[in-house]
Amino acid sequence: MDYGKLFESDISSEAVKKWRQQGKKALGVICCHVPEEIFHAAGVLPVRMRATGCVDASEAEMWMSSFSCSFAKSVLQYWLEGRYELDGIVASDGCIMASRIYDNAEYINRTRNKGQTIIQIAAPRKHTARTVPFYVNELRDLIEALEEITGEKITEEKLKASVEVYNEARELIKELYELRKEKNPVISGVEALQITLSKTNMPIEEYIDLLKAFLEDAKNRKPQDSWRARLMIIGSALDDPEYLRVIEEKGGLIVTDALCFGQMQFREPIEMRDDEDVLTSIADYYLKRVVCPRMMDVHEELHDFIIQSVREFSCDGVIYQRMQNCECWGGENILLEKKLKDVGIPQITVEREQHMANIGQLAVRAEAFIEMVEKEV
Amino acid sequence: MSEVKDLEQMVLDGEMTITEFACAKVDGSLERMKERHPEMLWTMEIQKFMWDSYRDAKKNGKKLCFFGGSVPTEIIAAFDCLGFYMDTIPFRLSTNPNLTSKYIDEAEKYVSASMCGLDKVELGAWLSGAYGMEPDLFVYNSVPCDSSRVAYPAMEKIIGVPAFSFDHPFRRDERGAEYLADQIEDFIEFMEEHTGNKLDWDKLKYYMENANRNFELQKKCADLRKHKPCPLPGRLLVLNGTTNAVACYPEMGDLYEGELEAGQMMIDLGMGACPDEKYRVAMLQNMIWGHAKIMDWMEKAYNAVAVMDAFGFQGDIYYEHLDDRRDCLKTMGRKMQNNPMIHGASGPSRYHLELVEKIFEEYDPNVSMFLGHVGCKHTWASSKIITDMIQDKYGLPTLFVDLDAIDGRYKSGDEIKDQISEYFETVVMK
Repeated sequence: MDYGKLFESDISSEAVKKWRQQGKKALGVICCHVPEEIFHAAGVLPVRMRATGCVDASEAEMWMSSFSCSFAKSVLQYWLEGRYELDGIVASDGCIMASRIYDNAEYINRTRNKGQTIIQIAAPRKHTARTVPFYVNELRDLIEALEEITGEKITEEKLKASVEVYNEARELIKELYELRKEKNPVISGVEALQITLSKTNMPIEEYIDLLKAFLEDAKNRKPQDSWRARLMIIGSALDDPEYLRVIEEKGGLIVTDALCFGQMQFREPIEMRDDEDVLTSIADYYLKRVVCPRMMDVHEELHDFIIQSVREFSCDGVIYQRMQNCECWGGENILLEKKLKDVGIPQITVEREQHMANIGQLAVRAEAFIEMVEKEV
Repeated sequence: MSEVKDLEQMVLDGEMTITEFACAKVDGSLERMKERHPEMLWTMEIQKFMWDSYRDAKKNGKKLCFFGGSVPTEIIAAFDCLGFYMDTIPFRLSTNPNLTSKYIDEAEKYVSASMCGLDKVELGAWLSGAYGMEPDLFVYNSVPCDSSRVAYPAMEKIIGVPAFSFDHPFRRDERGAEYLADQIEDFIEFMEEHTGNKLDWDKLKYYMENANRNFELQKKCADLRKHKPCPLPGRLLVLNGTTNAVACYPEMGDLYEGELEAGQMMIDLGMGACPDEKYRVAMLQNMIWGHAKIMDWMEKAYNAVAVMDAFGFQGDIYYEHLDDRRDCLKTMGRKMQNNPMIHGASGPSRYHLELVEKIFEEYDPNVSMFLGHVGCKHTWASSKIITDMIQDKYGLPTLFVDLDAIDGRYKSGDEIKDQISEYFETVVMK
């Protein structure tokens, strides 16, 4: 099976068109705190919205100002341009920028009579016995809204089946990341990000089939053997493999990440327990898993995850990229820097813009960092 | 002026804490006011009460509870603790850019420059050991913005005292009120555990009654501003931002009593804040703490008075059934959601939109300004929605000025004035 589509990380509306031609709905999803399993159970195609390749977000900037994160502005820009050809958007208040994409899209939709479905759910910022039931109620609202637009009833059985499908994808991504632990992995950082990004370009079943085909063929691939340092990349929403290419061209092989478009959107499978309904399991999972610092009570877990990953993937250092005006990731160094220093993990912090500005500077700094950590090997 | 510079230097040299500096500065201002404007003393007394209380908390046997974001201050007070609103530090220091810049630089060793200046000053000052106060407890909320959501949990770790955090619901509805009421029950348990006392409902009632009085007075003051000419100066709107810190104390009510009396007197005399009011300004964002004098200047230079702002304007939520625990806690939750800054900025943009619309409906402004703190990215990101509505519905173009409420290096007062002048002369007066 040709799995080449896994490496097509540019945004494609092909799957959306096909899906809609069948009379079914496709909705954009903003932020990974909106459980895609629910869409799947409703027969809706969830398309996690991103802005790969966006170089001009000036119309969106008019709405969101120059003080907003350029990823958020670029997502809104693509939505304004109709790039995705969707039936609407579902957002969570993942971060305040995600919320404002929703707000502006909702306002534009309403005032320009675009007639799209624009939904927002609230996702708590802590995982406690109080927050899970609150989130369950928010998800019930989402279910009701999806049932209304599709006419499909989302049953417990359908939800369970959808969780199983997504869990399979999670397991496969885990296998993919296992390959990256090898001394000379058969996959580069650019390719790995392409694979995790391409999930947004197709239905999950197709994605699973392609992943299986890739993993089957992995042993035949040429190993990466020209690297000078093994690196982990962490930080703000990064949906452009070209950013990683700049680092890898300087000899820094990215072998793992803490990125919401990378492995953080997959991680562990959802555990469905007999003593609770599946929606509670989903809510519990989405609030408990560590994705980004938008959750107030995961900072230590996130730091531990980074340190553990550095060890498991034999990384020589960490590249911490933070998008300008991304406050969630912007403040993470308050505690992380010292933690990494204490355990002897070198780290470099780089500021980033969605439009790949300052890329020359990134190349210079990445090269200097690679030289520094390479010597320490 | 040189006296303030000397004091600043002492803080920079580590010879004086921020608390001592604030107390000395307030005392100095009071002395000057006694000589020059004794009739305005009521405007400073609240500051005196606040800072002296913080400084003397331990001496007075009070546990000090630092707080960030909107939290139920009535509960803190009912446990005989003194709540210290951490934003008070950047508010107080905003007219001392030498100090704010030092703490901002200290914080920027770790955080990105785009983080809100309030959080950077709070963080940098703590890392510099400059507070001059040691908290016993720390409580914070997941609002108002992403900056605080990152800064407060980090400060929890750095400060290292028992801490409690609220998860703020995104929307203001019944579900959100119930959610906060549940969490307030948890907070009461936390306070009982860490103070060794049970909640004394009568004490809580006392503070809830104070809060009712204060917000009733605040509402009356706000209503006075509907009068033409507006009897109260724009500067008082900035001062009303203090509400968060001491909303349940009688001293806050005393401030409003003074404000109400002064405003009523002006109305009785047929006078306004401007000698000849021409322009009534709606402030969509109004965080010019470092340059509050601009309000006075605008009144003199253009006969333009800020009649209401979307920062401090709160409307009215009162405790109604003081013996009904659940009802009180839900009201407390709603009040937390209705705090200045939180109400218009932390949830969906439509809340900010509704707030602004209310100002336009009730205060009849003929000028619209968005003096936006660059740290409030969430407000900036909904500014077009709001200003489009103003243009469409009320036919007014809005002036946008970006400024840093805390970091004086970002833009000087003169630059801000210049932008306002240009707007008046090329748009408003044309």
